Amino acid sequence: MLETVKLLLPVIIPSWRFFDTIAPSPRIEFALLKTVQDIPDRWQEFCPRPAHLPISSMLKRLFWNPHWNEALFLVSCAERLMENGADYSVKEIVKRIKTGVEKRGVNSMVTPYLQFRLVFVSREGEQLQKYITFTSPVYQYAGGIVS
Amino acid sequence: MSLDLAIRVTEIALAMAFLQQSIEHMQVPGDERHLFLLRIILSIFLLFGFQAQWVCLALGILGVFILKRFQGPYNGGSDRMGMLILCCLALIHFMPALRWQEYIFGYLAMQCALSYFIAGWVKIVNPEWRNGHALQDVFRFSAYPVSESLRTWADWPRLLCLMSWVVMLFELLFPLALFSHITLITGLVIAAGFHFANACLLGLNRFLWIWLAAYPSILWLQERIFVHG
Repeated sequence: MLETVKLLLPVIIPSWRFFDTIAPSPRIEFALLKTVQDIPDRWQEFCPRPAHLPISSMLKRLFWNPHWNEALFLVSCAERLMENGADYSVKEIVKRIKTGVEKRGVNSMVTPYLQFRLVFVSREGEQLQKYITFTSPVYQYAGGIVS
Repeated sequence: MSLDLAIRVTEIALAMAFLQQSIEHMQVPGDERHLFLLRIILSIFLLFGFQAQWVCLALGILGVFILKRFQGPYNGGSDRMGMLILCCLALIHFMPALRWQEYIFGYLAMQCALSYFIAGWVKIVNPEWRNGHALQDVFRFSAYPVSESLRTWADWPRLLCLMSWVVMLFELLFPLALFSHITLITGLVIAAGFHFANACLLGLNRFLWIWLAAYPSILWLQERIFVHG
């Protein structure tokens, strides 16, 4: 009950503090592994943005934008994970990476394991800095945590 | 605009916004899909005004389950505005007296105006927004720009500083638009253009449709206060 009230209260009395500060921004990177013991050497960004997006695609996305909205949801999962270590956020991130990898037709027999990490980007002075703030355990595609 | 008409237009706009959002979840397997399939069915009922009172209540309860499913809003402010509109509509339908219906619809209108004012206030008190660095950061490294080519906008600091001030002043001055019908229409057109730009550049498409759904309440409130007194 208390949890429901905590979820509903910001809805009934919203804060509307959009973009009040530009906080360090998370990127989710993942690596596909052949064995549990593999050390990842090639991290890939999950849901990378395209190099260029034509205006026609921007207009289409006004009505149909599921991948981008999912990416924004994962950004909030990453932020929540760093704020309170939510197990829920880890599960959501892993689930969506698995789905994304499967959609790409990756052969899970060759690389049956995956690992992800969070890289936060921020500005310090005029330079952009990247910090790895979280590295997950190794997960099996079809199962849970392996190590 | 009469209260009944404003409420009905709000219901239609909210139903369409919910349909747009929910269809986006149909490609995800599992419980998420089931929740949003149910919301599609209820939104169609709301669109056609079928048992609006009970449909709003059911959508509100479903909204709580969706909040629990994602441990909070799936899409931040747009989900919060959607639930706020829904809660207000559901309450209005169960209020026995016209006066209480007006209070609740007025509360929604006030929140809509506050959404701009507070967003402007929290920016203008931040020196990073006043000197344009914050908007530069949005384009330079935040998660929002929809393409890598948009990140080059960060190389135009003077333009972004100007844009920052235009956005902050618009947001802060928005409540003043309530003083006349013409200024309010102008303010709402500019606001819709602002959401349209955010949708194109930052991918915040859900904000555009859900904020449009709140506009009938503010149009009604302006007429209720300044025309009918």
